[in-house]
Amino acid sequence: MRPMNALRAIAVAAGLAVAATGCGVTGGADAGKTSSAPAGPLTGLRIMVPNTPGGGYDTTARTAAKVMGDTKTATNVEVFNLAGAGGTVGLARLVNEKGNKDLAMLMGLGVVGASYTNKSEAKLTATTPLARLIQEPGAIMVGKDSPYKTIDDLVKVWKEDPSKVSVGGGSSPGGPDHLLPMQLAKAVGIDPKKVNFVSFDGGGDLLPAILGNKVGFAASGAGEYLQQIKSGEVRVLATSGESRLEGVDAPTLKESKIDLVFTNWRGIVAPPGVSDADRDRIVDALTKMHASNEWKAALKTRGWSDAFITGNEFKTFLTDQDKRVADVLKELGLA
Amino acid sequence: MTQHATAAGKPAARKGRSELGIAALLGAAGAVVLWDASRLVVPYSVSDPVGPKALPIIIGSLLLVTAVLLAVNVLRGGRGQAEEGEDVDLSHPADWKTVLPLAGAFVLNILLIDVAGWVISGTLLFWGSVWALGGRNYVRDGLVSVAMALLTFYGFYFGLGIKLPAGILAGIL
Amino acid sequence: MDTFNLLLQGFSTALTPMNLMFACLGVLLGTAVGVLPGIGPAMAIALLLPLTYNLEPTSALIMFAGIYYGGMYGGSTTSILLNTPGESSTVITAIEGHKMAKAGRAAQALATAAIGSFVAGTIGTALLAAFAPVVVKFAVSLGPSSYLAIMILGLLTVTAVLGASKLRGFASLGLGLAIGLVGLDPVTGQQRLVFGIPLLSDGLDIVVVAVAIFAVGEALWIAAHLRRSKTSTIPVGQPWMGKQDWKRSWKPWLRGTALGFPFGAMPAGGAEVPTFLSYSVEKKLTKHPDEFGHGAIEGVAGPEAANNASAAGTLTPLLALGLPTNATAGVMLAALMQFGIQPGPLLFQNEPILVWGLIASLFIGNTLLLLFNLPMAPLWAKLLRIPRPYLYAGILFFATLGAYAVNLQAFDLVILLVLGALGFAMRRFGLPILPLIIGLILGPRIEGQLRKAFQLSAGNISGLWNEPVAVVVYLLVALILCWPLVALAWRRFRPAKAAAREAALERDPHQIRL
Repeated sequence: MRPMNALRAIAVAAGLAVAATGCGVTGGADAGKTSSAPAGPLTGLRIMVPNTPGGGYDTTARTAAKVMGDTKTATNVEVFNLAGAGGTVGLARLVNEKGNKDLAMLMGLGVVGASYTNKSEAKLTATTPLARLIQEPGAIMVGKDSPYKTIDDLVKVWKEDPSKVSVGGGSSPGGPDHLLPMQLAKAVGIDPKKVNFVSFDGGGDLLPAILGNKVGFAASGAGEYLQQIKSGEVRVLATSGESRLEGVDAPTLKESKIDLVFTNWRGIVAPPGVSDADRDRIVDALTKMHASNEWKAALKTRGWSDAFITGNEFKTFLTDQDKRVADVLKELGLA
Repeated sequence: MTQHATAAGKPAARKGRSELGIAALLGAAGAVVLWDASRLVVPYSVSDPVGPKALPIIIGSLLLVTAVLLAVNVLRGGRGQAEEGEDVDLSHPADWKTVLPLAGAFVLNILLIDVAGWVISGTLLFWGSVWALGGRNYVRDGLVSVAMALLTFYGFYFGLGIKLPAGILAGIL
Repeated sequence: MDTFNLLLQGFSTALTPMNLMFACLGVLLGTAVGVLPGIGPAMAIALLLPLTYNLEPTSALIMFAGIYYGGMYGGSTTSILLNTPGESSTVITAIEGHKMAKAGRAAQALATAAIGSFVAGTIGTALLAAFAPVVVKFAVSLGPSSYLAIMILGLLTVTAVLGASKLRGFASLGLGLAIGLVGLDPVTGQQRLVFGIPLLSDGLDIVVVAVAIFAVGEALWIAAHLRRSKTSTIPVGQPWMGKQDWKRSWKPWLRGTALGFPFGAMPAGGAEVPTFLSYSVEKKLTKHPDEFGHGAIEGVAGPEAANNASAAGTLTPLLALGLPTNATAGVMLAALMQFGIQPGPLLFQNEPILVWGLIASLFIGNTLLLLFNLPMAPLWAKLLRIPRPYLYAGILFFATLGAYAVNLQAFDLVILLVLGALGFAMRRFGLPILPLIIGLILGPRIEGQLRKAFQLSAGNISGLWNEPVAVVVYLLVALILCWPLVALAWRRFRPAKAAAREAALERDPHQIRL
């Protein structure tokens, strides 16, 4: 190339380079450093969502980040996705980042199950629990043309021949909608191995089966079907929470003399090896967020139930959940 | 299954044998599918008589059967029609001097994307590909590559909020 | 009619400057996102969701619907020009569309895709507006046995596209089925063909596979046999569709719409299956069968209409019942819930302004897309005049970018390379590509529906034909399988009539068509 053209080319290149650095998109002074002053808002926090954007965990994480930003409990919270294998890809990454005080992962019951069915080497019990945020009880549902009017009707027929009563759920084996009927079976004295569980591809796939009476009954969160429940197309036989679900006229399992409390919960954990001080800093921010009016409003808009516990309480809960899930899945040969 | 008329008998025979490679690939795929299926557990379930093994067995068998039939077909003289097109000149054997650098540029990107960042690895990918395919205008190609990598980097960030890896250029960009 | 009045009201909502602007923004963004393989409308909407929190729900939804329709248009552009399908529903378009592009008929391919999409989108939206409750009632009544029957019908179509060597066609089908096996077993949750790599347990995405085999495979193949002699760059030819093109396109548009809309409305239907059903139907019905595989315009018109009709079909159960039938609808459902709107059977009653404004804006968005894409078609076609090295380097660049951006995992690129090598080998040894794609799409679905049908009937085999739709479709399948025999018997046992017919056929081959 002639020298003049070469010169011009270099000028263009230089121009591009300067423009690029001027944009200032990556990095910035905050990366890698969290504020050591306990009084100021938390900075530099990154929340990982182990699922795809738009899903349940993603929405929860982004809502939390937004509320924290709005209430100045934490600033510049970055939410990013690392999806795969039911959440275990994110889990593996989290467990690898030992001691990283700026990283947290939003997770839930689904990840617990996935860590077994996907044969993940990283286990949730290795992480540092921060807080449980929300929960949703499950619901036992049937279509309006179903012969079952109460949960007792259902259990009676179910016990006679479990293979004849198909159970539909919106998750694959190991997921929350699968765990609920399995634990329910155990609670009423049916061998989980005999349960005829049919997995559907999410609420959208499950709904026609309920409406068309193609499944014996469905076990899933009621949140996706509130309109159908209100209009009477879907009948809720029982819910699985500690107390009744607001807006749904159905007894809890406990009220119906079935000894089971089951919720699909979501919480935040941190990598292993994080110091107590660093852990408490994030927990403090979360506690402040939880106390704020913005968070309460968000819960209401999205129909989430508050289930805030932190510290050792959450740690015990997590360990207990992990064990319960492991037991059920081992019995089924899935773990 | 047309027979390509070639100048010398040797290339035809060599070509024929290379088609056996496909038959071998199919056979290997079938074997792998069947082997993988063999370690599946089939819990007895009256409501799932098909089970997780049934389809893998069918598919693996299909692959093995086609592998054998294809091998027979090739040895008897059958040939698959290689794809043609305006850009494609089939009168010469594969030009490995072009394909390998192209694949190499691709591999380089895979190795570097998380380490050095998209801007660098994408530039190298494009530049390398252009060079492999015959572009020799190094400076212009290089500038275009850098521009494309930068534009897509910022485009994804501002348009969709997707942060492509910045790698070693983090903090600068 | 009441519906008509509501629709007019909807137009008044949709035509406000604010909503028009959102519609424009949506279609532009959707086209851009559709062009890129890997990122689709579903992901784009999901990513934009947090940003739209403070917007008017109607405006946000108008933008999202624009993104959805736009994605369908954008995907077909790269399918045709670069053999890089942007969406799973535009994979089939690449087969004939790209061949047309290489023959200098890119503008015609793009035009027929754009117009077909417009026709299908308009008709589909009209069906949505007028018949939503009826459509939904029917769609919801379908169970796994019906879906299984339909998928088997789809599998039959593979025989139409096996290509010159049936043996190699079946080999390709087998490979596609095997790739579809990768992942978790739907009933027992066991890993199949995962080999301990956690990222494989989600299975292989069809767009990644298609991009690898089509785009990367072709790039490698071209590299191996690049014509170094200075030939002319691809002739661009006429910029507009000729009379023949129109004549050959309009029926496929309508047929594609008829196929696409129901599949979009069915919960387990999807947008991919109607596109290759449409392809097979067009191939069977065409007057120019030898052109198929080398750039037959019907092979672009039909599938493109099918995929846009299915987009309209998908919105039908979403709005009428709150039932999402694919990922994009699922994200739009999440969007509705974010705004505190509960989608469900009462949506039409509770939020008429929102719903009808949205429907009206679909018509508008469709028109905008046509106005945008049609004049651009000749310009896009000029893209092919870029020197070969830049063109194919660009294809590899964007394929890599798209595949990477979905999960931000370098592993997806490894899959791209490995399957790209497979695509190279398939081109070298004459294995047709379409059966592989069909196997990949249909294999998991057939297995899933088959086992689900058994589960829901507690292992009883009568569960496979316990629905009227299933029975009808199986009869159709039997008819198609037996047709050659019937025709043979007809000729054997009615010699006089048959002979006269054949003589007539000899004189004028186009007179009679089976």
